[in-house]
Amino acid sequence: MTWWDALVRAGAVPAAYVPPASMGRTDADDGAEPGADLVEGDAVAVHAIAPTLSPPACFLDGIEQWKVVGYDGVLPVVRAYVAAAVRRRGPDRRLRTAFESSREFAIAPLAGLAPERRRALEEHCADVVEITTEQGTQPGRLLELARRAVDSARAALERDLAERCLAGLGQKEWLVVDGLLSVSGKLAGHPRALGVIKSHGAQFFSGADLERALTVPADHRTSVFRARGGHARNEVYSWYLRLWPWEGNDLLYGLVRIEARADAATIAAATATSGWLLAERAPLATPDTRWDRLLYPIHDVETYLKARAPRDFAVSRVSRLPRTGT
Amino acid sequence: MIARPEPVAIGRVVATELKPSTPHQFHFWTANESPIGIGAIVRVAEGERVVYGVVTDGFAYSDLATPLHDVIGAEGDPARAAESPTVRQEIRYWTAAVLRQIPEEPLQPVPLGQVFVASDTDVAQALRMDAYLHSATPTAIPIGLYTSGGLEAPVYLDADFLLGPEAAHLNISGVSGLATKTSAVEFLLASVFRHFPAHKGKVAAVCFNVKGPDLCFLDQPGDLSDEDRRRYELLDVPAAPFERVHYFAPLKADGVNLNTLRTHPELVDDVTPLTWGLQEVVDFAEVLLNRDDIDAKADAFIDYLRDRVLGRSFEDGFGNSHQVGTFADLDRFFRLVFDGLEMSGRSDTWRTHHIATMRKVRNRLSNISTRCKGLVTDDGPSSDLPWGAFEDRAVYVIDVANVDPLGQDLVFARAVSKLREHLERRDLGVDAVVVFVDELNKYAPGDGPETYVKKMLLDISERGRYLGLVLFSAEQFRSQVHRRVVGNAGTQVFGRMDMDELATPGYQVLSPATKIKLATLPVGELMVRHPHFTQPMFVRFPKPPVLRGRDGMGRFPATVDLPFEDAVARQLVHMDRRIRPNQVKDLIADRTEEDVRRALAAVRQKRPEDVLAYFRKMLGGRVASDAPRERQVVPPLNPISDEPY
Repeated sequence: MTWWDALVRAGAVPAAYVPPASMGRTDADDGAEPGADLVEGDAVAVHAIAPTLSPPACFLDGIEQWKVVGYDGVLPVVRAYVAAAVRRRGPDRRLRTAFESSREFAIAPLAGLAPERRRALEEHCADVVEITTEQGTQPGRLLELARRAVDSARAALERDLAERCLAGLGQKEWLVVDGLLSVSGKLAGHPRALGVIKSHGAQFFSGADLERALTVPADHRTSVFRARGGHARNEVYSWYLRLWPWEGNDLLYGLVRIEARADAATIAAATATSGWLLAERAPLATPDTRWDRLLYPIHDVETYLKARAPRDFAVSRVSRLPRTGT
Repeated sequence: MIARPEPVAIGRVVATELKPSTPHQFHFWTANESPIGIGAIVRVAEGERVVYGVVTDGFAYSDLATPLHDVIGAEGDPARAAESPTVRQEIRYWTAAVLRQIPEEPLQPVPLGQVFVASDTDVAQALRMDAYLHSATPTAIPIGLYTSGGLEAPVYLDADFLLGPEAAHLNISGVSGLATKTSAVEFLLASVFRHFPAHKGKVAAVCFNVKGPDLCFLDQPGDLSDEDRRRYELLDVPAAPFERVHYFAPLKADGVNLNTLRTHPELVDDVTPLTWGLQEVVDFAEVLLNRDDIDAKADAFIDYLRDRVLGRSFEDGFGNSHQVGTFADLDRFFRLVFDGLEMSGRSDTWRTHHIATMRKVRNRLSNISTRCKGLVTDDGPSSDLPWGAFEDRAVYVIDVANVDPLGQDLVFARAVSKLREHLERRDLGVDAVVVFVDELNKYAPGDGPETYVKKMLLDISERGRYLGLVLFSAEQFRSQVHRRVVGNAGTQVFGRMDMDELATPGYQVLSPATKIKLATLPVGELMVRHPHFTQPMFVRFPKPPVLRGRDGMGRFPATVDLPFEDAVARQLVHMDRRIRPNQVKDLIADRTEEDVRRALAAVRQKRPEDVLAYFRKMLGGRVASDAPRERQVVPPLNPISDEPY
């Protein structure tokens, strides 16, 4: 018997609600107001890049999935799954898993649950994350809190794997992380760790600099800047890199932001680093719709994790019409 | 006890709604680098259920959504596509046909279990060979080695299904010139001779050499590599030529030189002339007569001759006594009957047979010895296969490669009929005979007229297994052979095939990958279908242990025909080494070749102690020829008929 079956037996109303934002992670920079200090030149400039040979590298990504499995009154009880993996690219150019970790847990406003439901949950589920609520919190708000809890669990898993990977990284080997590098001090301080950010919720420039940054042509990068605010809990250097021409598409099409150690060496190597990242455009990460910004190895890690994830988190394709019992 | 290493899974069964597992087929994936290939046997284990399958198709694809994405990724430059830092995820996806499920009931879809490369034991289980390999009376006959996944496991046929009585016959197809069909049969005969079960008695083979020197050197060792010898060892078949091979070949038109390519002085002595007289031929007169010739009247008259005249004392009603044993006697018989009719002025019938019918039959029968000169003798004794004294594990090669088609038909029809007669009476000397006939496209075509040979082949195919008369046949295009001949072959073997042939309906059951493999099969590899195997299997067989025809011609080139006197002398010297050729030449000087041939044939048949003396006796004294007497011609009283005869 699963813990959510036990919960339903204890009186919870069964549910099978998969919130629209539950099947992936978000890179929305919803932290402090972001800002940038240029560390390369006096104004945002663009630099031409030529693809170069990629160095040995590992790639890290994580996934998160969650769904509401029951309600105690209007309080949702959530089942969540997070996983992360590091896949190392070998001399044969194939990716193989070097590290991986996953966690399946429940998220519930324990304090608000009826005693028998709370007992059932605590007895049958070893890993329960509590979200604290005030009396009368709306279910929608609780779901947002659940999302943050899942996001946080996934980030912790990624951080842990990244740090384990860094400990065993080869002398010339790089670690490329899908997302922010600045979430971890060890990551942010490593000379061969890179963060590749695909979403651009946080804008570090304004005015003409912003225009220059966001209209950087294909095969070009911007000047390096120090990222402030947003998720940046540790100091990192960053720059924009355009992988594919955006003209005829969208302003952010093919645009990634790179994070690297805040060090003069990063500035010196920015063009070279951008060169091999540019080479990672091929093979295309299709059929993922974000293929213009998604590096294939990161896509590969994500595919790997999704293939190993529990299958019952996906949105059911069957009709949600009430059952007739026949 | 030797601990066996745990087998390592090399794949996993996968099933989707579109491509589900069924009780007869499943799909699995493997790592890119795996020993699996088309024809490989795999084992699926899940719980108590074990499923054996043979790989029939393979697929590889990557996560590339459309080829255009590869072009875009490489910016239109194929060279850059190969330089991408990461190789796309790809799959090796295989389709396998189920060979066997254990337990066999209830028959269920193949479980989604792990896939292992088959071991020796698995191969035996998968092909259901365990039933006849390890029974109290084993009937297993190796046909080759299953070689896949680094494994070399012998594959066995069941003698009960290869040589009767359950099923029988073997048919082999393949394009010409790859030394596969004949080689395979030679190897298989060696295997049959080594492994024919003791409880089934004795076995021999009769091989018709119908082209070139193919089967002329079965008693000579061929060149075998160490690899071949190792395979022979694995299959427990001696890597040596056949110990007992008997060659038979008709004579050429001169009546003394053999009509075969095995005429090298070192080998020709082993060839026994094959010559038949009237007695041997008349039973098969139908073979030699045109379809237009055969009618009820001719048939009745031939029967009359057979029953009342041939081989017995016979009065023709005109005061003549006959003892017809040869074509010469038959000619005399006809002449005297016709003369008698003319002289007596009687009607145009004799003993209810119309004279025109008689003249037609006479014409056709008399012509036989002309049309098949060398095989059929006008006069003198015959020289035949040792009916009733066939030796165990002996090969009897009848070389008709250089005989005209009519003669080939006669040889085939008579040899097979005699085999059948003796096997029915159980007095052949062996209990089973394998008859090997190549070029079925010629002898048993799917279309064309109903020939006597085709009828014989059909007869063997349909009834032979009850008698122990087994047909091993070969052809280039299976689709163009009579359906009942190939259909009755319990075991079917395929060498490299022509793609056009593979496109015919008979091969629709094969997967495209199997067809491609068949079209590109290397020399020494075959696909085998056998009643115990639920799917065709690919096997390798070693090079046959005998000298190939072409190589044999290099090592033992045929000699040119000897002059008449030398040929006669050589034959007599061969029978008695004390004879000097000049003695023979003196003896036959001024004698007619007919007389010499008749005397030689008598010596061959008698095999006397003193060959020369017997030859001299058979030759008889020299008789001075008289001037021919003028013959009184009596004109017929009435015109007999308008028949042109």
